[in-house]
Amino acid sequence: MPPNATFNTLERERIFKNPSNKAFQTPALQELVAPHIEAFNALTEFGPSSGLLDLAIQDIGSKAVFDTNGGGLGNKLTFWVDELTLNKPSLSDKERHSTTRHVYPTEARERLNTYRGRLEAKLAWRINDGPVVIETQDLGLVPIMVRSNRCNLEGAFPKELIRHHEESEEFGGYFLVNGIEKLIRLLIVPRRNHVIALIRSSFTNRGPTYSNYGTSIRCARPDQTSQTNTVHYLTDGGSMLRFAWRKQEYLVPTMLILKTLIDTSDKEIFDSIMLGDMGNTFLTDRVELMLRSFKAYVLHTREQCLAYLGDKFRVVMNFPEDYTDVEVGEGLLRKIVLVHLKNNRDKFNLLIFMIRKVYALVAGECAPDNPDSPQHQEVLLGGYLYGSIIKEKIEDWLNGVRSMIKQDVRRKVAGLDFLDNHYFLKTLKKTASLQDIGQKMSYFLATGNLISNTGLDLQQATGYTIVAEKLNFYRFLAHFRCIHRGSFFAELKTTTVRKLLPEAWGFLCPPADVSRLPSILASLGVSQTLVPARGQRTVVVQLDGRIVGYCSSEEAKKVAGTLRHYKFSGSHQGAVPLDIELGYVPISQGGQYPGLYIFSTPARMMRPVRYLANGKTDMVGSFEQVYMEIACMDDEIRPGESTHQELSPTSMLSIIANLTPFSDFNQSPRNMYQCQMGKQAMGTPSTAINYRTDNKMYRLQTGQTPIVRPALHDTYGIDGFPNGMNAVVAVISYTGYDMEDAMILNKSSHERGFGYGTIYKSEIIDLTDLRIRGEPVLHHFGLGLDAPRSWREKLDKDGLPCIGVTLGEGDPMCAYIDDTTGKTSVRKYKGMEEGIVDEVRLLGSDLGDTELQKIHIKLRITRAPIIGDKFSSRHGQKGVCSQKWPSVDMPFSESGIQPDVIINPHAFPSRMTIGMFVESLAGKSGALHGIAQDATPFTFNETYTAANYFGEQLKAAGYNYHGNEPMYSGITGEEFKIDIYLGVVYYQRLRHMVSDKYQVRTTGPVHNLTMQPVKGRKRAGGIRFGEMERDSLLAHGVSYLLQDRLMNCSDYSICNVCTKCGSITSPISTHTAGSLSNVREIECRACQSGSGIDQVPLPYVFRYLATELMSMGIKVTLKTQP
Amino acid sequence: MDMYNGGPEISIRSLRKDGMKFVLSNTDLSVANALRRIMIAEVPTMAIDMVEIEKNSTVLTDEFIAHRLGMIPLTSFDVDRIQYTRDCTCTLYCPNCSVELTLHVKVNVDFDDMNDPTIDKTRQVSSLDLISSDENVKPVSDDKSHPILIVKMRPGQEVKLKCIAKKGVAKEHAKWSPVYGVAFEYDPYNKLRHSHYWIEEDENLEWFVSDNAVEETPIDPNEPFDYNAKPDRFYMEVETSGCMKPEDVVLRAMTIMQDKLGGLQIKLDDEFKEDTQRWGY
Repeated sequence: MPPNATFNTLERERIFKNPSNKAFQTPALQELVAPHIEAFNALTEFGPSSGLLDLAIQDIGSKAVFDTNGGGLGNKLTFWVDELTLNKPSLSDKERHSTTRHVYPTEARERLNTYRGRLEAKLAWRINDGPVVIETQDLGLVPIMVRSNRCNLEGAFPKELIRHHEESEEFGGYFLVNGIEKLIRLLIVPRRNHVIALIRSSFTNRGPTYSNYGTSIRCARPDQTSQTNTVHYLTDGGSMLRFAWRKQEYLVPTMLILKTLIDTSDKEIFDSIMLGDMGNTFLTDRVELMLRSFKAYVLHTREQCLAYLGDKFRVVMNFPEDYTDVEVGEGLLRKIVLVHLKNNRDKFNLLIFMIRKVYALVAGECAPDNPDSPQHQEVLLGGYLYGSIIKEKIEDWLNGVRSMIKQDVRRKVAGLDFLDNHYFLKTLKKTASLQDIGQKMSYFLATGNLISNTGLDLQQATGYTIVAEKLNFYRFLAHFRCIHRGSFFAELKTTTVRKLLPEAWGFLCPPADVSRLPSILASLGVSQTLVPARGQRTVVVQLDGRIVGYCSSEEAKKVAGTLRHYKFSGSHQGAVPLDIELGYVPISQGGQYPGLYIFSTPARMMRPVRYLANGKTDMVGSFEQVYMEIACMDDEIRPGESTHQELSPTSMLSIIANLTPFSDFNQSPRNMYQCQMGKQAMGTPSTAINYRTDNKMYRLQTGQTPIVRPALHDTYGIDGFPNGMNAVVAVISYTGYDMEDAMILNKSSHERGFGYGTIYKSEIIDLTDLRIRGEPVLHHFGLGLDAPRSWREKLDKDGLPCIGVTLGEGDPMCAYIDDTTGKTSVRKYKGMEEGIVDEVRLLGSDLGDTELQKIHIKLRITRAPIIGDKFSSRHGQKGVCSQKWPSVDMPFSESGIQPDVIINPHAFPSRMTIGMFVESLAGKSGALHGIAQDATPFTFNETYTAANYFGEQLKAAGYNYHGNEPMYSGITGEEFKIDIYLGVVYYQRLRHMVSDKYQVRTTGPVHNLTMQPVKGRKRAGGIRFGEMERDSLLAHGVSYLLQDRLMNCSDYSICNVCTKCGSITSPISTHTAGSLSNVREIECRACQSGSGIDQVPLPYVFRYLATELMSMGIKVTLKTQP
Repeated sequence: MDMYNGGPEISIRSLRKDGMKFVLSNTDLSVANALRRIMIAEVPTMAIDMVEIEKNSTVLTDEFIAHRLGMIPLTSFDVDRIQYTRDCTCTLYCPNCSVELTLHVKVNVDFDDMNDPTIDKTRQVSSLDLISSDENVKPVSDDKSHPILIVKMRPGQEVKLKCIAKKGVAKEHAKWSPVYGVAFEYDPYNKLRHSHYWIEEDENLEWFVSDNAVEETPIDPNEPFDYNAKPDRFYMEVETSGCMKPEDVVLRAMTIMQDKLGGLQIKLDDEFKEDTQRWGY
C-alpha cells in the first residue's frame, strides 16, 4: 500500500478537536506566503540592526531652509526624520471601555474596518549649529499585514488563532482595508544590479544620432528603492547616460560622469575600456572619438566637471541653497548614478563595464539580453514596494514643510521666527494633510493606484493590489503565489512576452502563472570579497553589480565551482550562504556577455534542487540555472556534466497544478483549464464562515475529500477545504441529453444532496448616509407603531430582521425611525432570489461611543443544482447539467450501481484527458478497497503502468481489469451491446449557475428615446438581435420572423401620417375650436386639415429618425397607399 | 403467451434481514425490469417530509438539518394504514396521513468541564433523539451503538423541531425509496450475445464470470447459436434501507404491478365497451 493510502480521518478529527498551541498542522501553508510576510517584516527588520524604513530615512537625509535674515542666506533650519516607529494595531487612547488594548484582524474584518497601526516619526530639527530638538509626530494609521511582525497575531498557533476567530491554519500575508482582504501583487521587475544589453527601436527617439543600442542597469539602494541607469550608444561612436529623476528624463555624456566620479586621466579611461585588447580597432576608434569629443566641453579636472554638472542640475536636485555646485554634483552622483554602489571607484568601474558591454553589443560580439526571460528578472515584493511608498510620502512631507517655510520667508509672514520652536510646530500643523501617511497607504491598498512624484522606477501606476478573494481555497492560495508580469505587458500586442522560455523551468508555472517553490530571499547576502588577478585577457567577476576583478574564463568557472563547494563545506563554510547565486556565463561567439556574476541580494527567484556532489539540497537561481546541468530523472544524469538533480519531477508545477491528479496523463492545455476551473469551483472558502463578511461567498454543503489525490493534497491540508464530490461516472452516450459536453445528473443523487450549494451575500445598511452634515443623529433603527403588519413578519421590534427569516424581492430588510417625521421607513431587499437571514452584525464606531448606525446582514441563498448549472472534473472536462434523469431510468450495473453523472464518450478523443480515465479507475478501486489513492504525476511509466496497477486492484475486488462493466438500460432492462466504463471521479461544481445568468423577457422596460427594449439582465432587458442575426434571417428569407423580431417585439408603434404631404412629423392632436367636447382630433399642421390623416404602423425609431432629420432641415415624406 | 408455461416463478437464493437474493424465471425481460423499477421507485414508504424548526443554534443551517432528517429511513411496515396526504380530507396534514416526530436537544454548559480538554463535550444528535408519535413509524435503528448522526452540538447549543413524516414514493423524492440498490442480471454466460465483452488479450483474465453463473450451464462450444432465444431467468438482489422486510418490498412491488395491470385492463375493457356501443361492432 502506498504511504498515504489513508484519509487520516481520525487524526484530523483529533487535531480539529484539540488544536495545537505549538505547531501548525500544515506548516507548508505558512511557507507559501513567507515572501509576502518576510518582505513586510523587512520594513522593520532587515539585516542585523535596522529595517527598510530606517534605511529609507537615512537615504532621505535632512532638508534645510534659510530665513534670509540679515542679508545673504540667514539662519539655517535643518530638519530630518530621526526615527520611524510602526506600532501594532491597538485601540485609540480615547477609548475607555475595554480592558485589552489589542486589536485583532477579525475586528477589522467583521466591522468592515481597516487593520492598521500607528506610524510615528521622531522629527528632529536644529537652527544653524544649535541644539537638536526632537519631537514625536503622528503619521497616521498605516494598514498592517496580517500575521506580520506588526500584527497582534504574530507567532500565534492554531489554538490562539481560533480563539481570535481566524482560520486554524491562517497564514496572513494580506492587509485588511475596509473589511476587504487586500494583497499587494508580486511584480516582475528587471534583475537588480545587473547590466543587460538591449536593442530597442524606441532608443532612437531620444534624439539625433541615438542608435537602438544600449545597456541598462536597475540599481537598488539599500532601502530597496531603485534607480535605472541606461547607457546609450550614439551612431557617432559616443555614449550617453540616461536616467529619470522625478519622472523627467535626463541625458548626460558618459564621459562627463566618468570624469566626475574620480580623478582620472584620459589614458586611464582608455586603458580601462580597452583592457589591453589593442587589436580591437572597432573599440579603439570609438573610445578615441569619445575622448576627443569631450574636449569640446573644456573641462579638465574632476572639480570642474562636478561644478559643471552641479550647475546644470541645481534646480532639478533641489538641494539646500548653501550647497556649492561641486556639492550638488556629488549629491547627484550619490543619489542617481549607480546607486547600489557607495564607492565612486566602483561606480567608475561599472560604468566602464557598461560602456564596454554596449560596444560589444554594437560590434556583435555579444547578443542582446532578453528582458522577458526570468534570467534577467526578479520579483518586486509587496513589503518593499510598501516601504518605498512610505519613504516617498515622508520625503514629500518634509519637502512640503520646506516649501511652506520657504513661502513664508518669501512673503515675509508675521511671526516667522526660526528661533521660536512654535513657528516650526505651527508650520507642521499646516502640512497635516501631507503628514497623514496612513491615509495615503490605505488609499494605495484600497485602489491599487500609485500616486507618486518619482514613479518609483516602476512601469505602471495602477493595479498594484488585488482582492484576495476567498471564492474557494484554491483561488485564495493562488493569489499569494501569482506573479504579475506588469499591466504594461498585458496590453502589449506581441506575444513574445507570453512565450514560455526554458529559462523559466521550475520558477514559473504556466498553468496558473504561479511559481512553485521559489523561496524569495529576504536575507542579506555576504560581503565577502574575492580578488582574482587583474589585467589579463579576461572576463569580469561581479558581486551584486560591483566589479571585484577580472580573470580568465576557466578561472571564473573554477571560482564558481569552489564557491558552490564552500556553500556546504570547507574552511569558508558559513561565509558563503546557500542562497548565493553563482552565474557563470562562459565565453561564446555572439552569445551572452561572459563573466561570473554573483548575486546575494534579496528578491531573487530561487528554487531547491539536489546537489549531486553531496546529495544535499542546494538553491538555484534563475540566472545561473541557464548554464547548469540539472537532471530531472535518475536516468538523465550525465556523469561529469550534471551537477544537480530535481528533487522531484513535479517541482516544475505550481501548487494548483500539482493538485490535478495524474496530470501527466493529460494533454497539457487540459491541465491549464483545470487550473482555471479549480479556482472557480464552489467549495469551502473558509472554516470560520460565521466570522466573515465577504460580499459574496460560495459554499458547497456536501464537499468530500477526493479518493484520488496527489501527495501534495495532504501537505497543503486541502482536506480542510473540500472542493467537490466523488461521483460515480459512466462514460456512455445515453438518451442524447449528454451531447456536446452536457452531462446527465441522477435525480436521486441530487435529492440525496449531490452538489448542493449555498451563496452568502452581504448587505450593508448605514444610516449615516441619510444624515446631513452637522446635524445630530436623527435616524434610529427600530420599528415604530406605524409599521404595517407585513413588516412585522420579517422584522423584530429593534427594526432588524429576525435570524432565519426568508426575504423575497421587495421585503423589508431593516426599519428605522426618522426623528423629524416620526415615521418608520424600511430598506427593501432588492435581490431577485429569496435569501435567508443568516447573521445580523451591529457595527459600532471605533470608540464605541456612538449610537448604532450601521448594520451588516449576511443572507444565505440556497442553490441546489438545477439544469443549466456547470460542473467539471479535475481534468478540464467541464459540462452543463442538461437533465436530472430519474434514477430508475438511469443505466445500472449488475450489482445495481447507478451513476451519479453520465458523460458522453465524445468528450475524450479530441481532448485526450487520459488522466480522467485513470482517475476513474483509481477512484473505483479506492472506493472498493476503502483506501485513498495516490495520484502524484510521474509515478507511473511505460513499464509500470497505472492501468495495470489499478487494474489488478479492481480484479482483486472482483471487477473487470479495465474498469468496464456490463450495464443495462434502466428503461428496458436490456443489456447494452457494449460494456461501459464506470468509475469514481471527483467532480467540482463551478460557480457559474443559470440562476445568475438566465435572461428572459416578454414585455418590460423600454428605452424612452427609441422605445426599444433596454439591454441588461439586471434591468429585465432583452438580448440584442443584431445586424448579423438580421442578415441571417434575410438570407433565409423569413420576412415574417424578421418583422416579428425587429418591429412587433421591439418598438412597434402606430403613427399618424398625413397622406397629403406625406409627413409623419406634422400631424398633431388639437382641440377642435368651439367644440365643447373633450374629443381631440388629429390635424396636419402643414396642410391645416385633418382630412388626410391616416394611421400606419412604424418602428418608433423611424419616427425618431424623422425628427432628428427634421432638426437638420431634412424633410422625410412617406408615400402612402391604401 | 404459450412461451412461459405455468407463469413466472421465483426461487429465493438467500434471505437476510435487509436483503434478498432471488431468481425470477419463466417470464419476460419487461416483467423483470418492471419489477425492478417498481421496487426502486413506486413502493410507498414513510419519510420525513416537512420540518418545523422552532430553534436551531447548531452549526448546520435549517435547510441542511431538514435535508438530513428527510434522508433518515423510517420503519414502514404499517404504511398501508396511512393515507397519502393528497388523498386525505385534511388541508395540510393529520394523523390519518402523517406521523409526527419531535426532536429537542439542548446541551447545557457545564462550567466545571469547560476547560478540561480530556472531556469530549461534543453532543452527537442522532436518530435516537427523534421521538415518534407512532410506535410503528420510527427511525430505523438495528444497532443502538451506530445510530444515524444528524448534527453535532457543543455546549450552549439547542435544536428543537417537529418533523412530519408522510407516505410517498421514490418517484417523487429518493428518500421514499425502500431499497438502496437492486442488482439485476440475466444470461451470465452471455449466451444470447446481447453484449459484446471488450477484451484486450485474454477474456478469462480480464473478465470475471458472475456469481450468478452457478445457476446456469456454461456455454457448450459445439452448440449452435440460438438466435431466437430470449432471456427468461433474472438474477436479482434487493437491499433495503431497513424500512421494511426485503420480501415485503418484492411482494408489494408485485401487488403494485398487478394493480397497475388490473387498472389498465379495466380501462381497456371500458374503452372497448364504449367503442362497441359507439360504433356498433
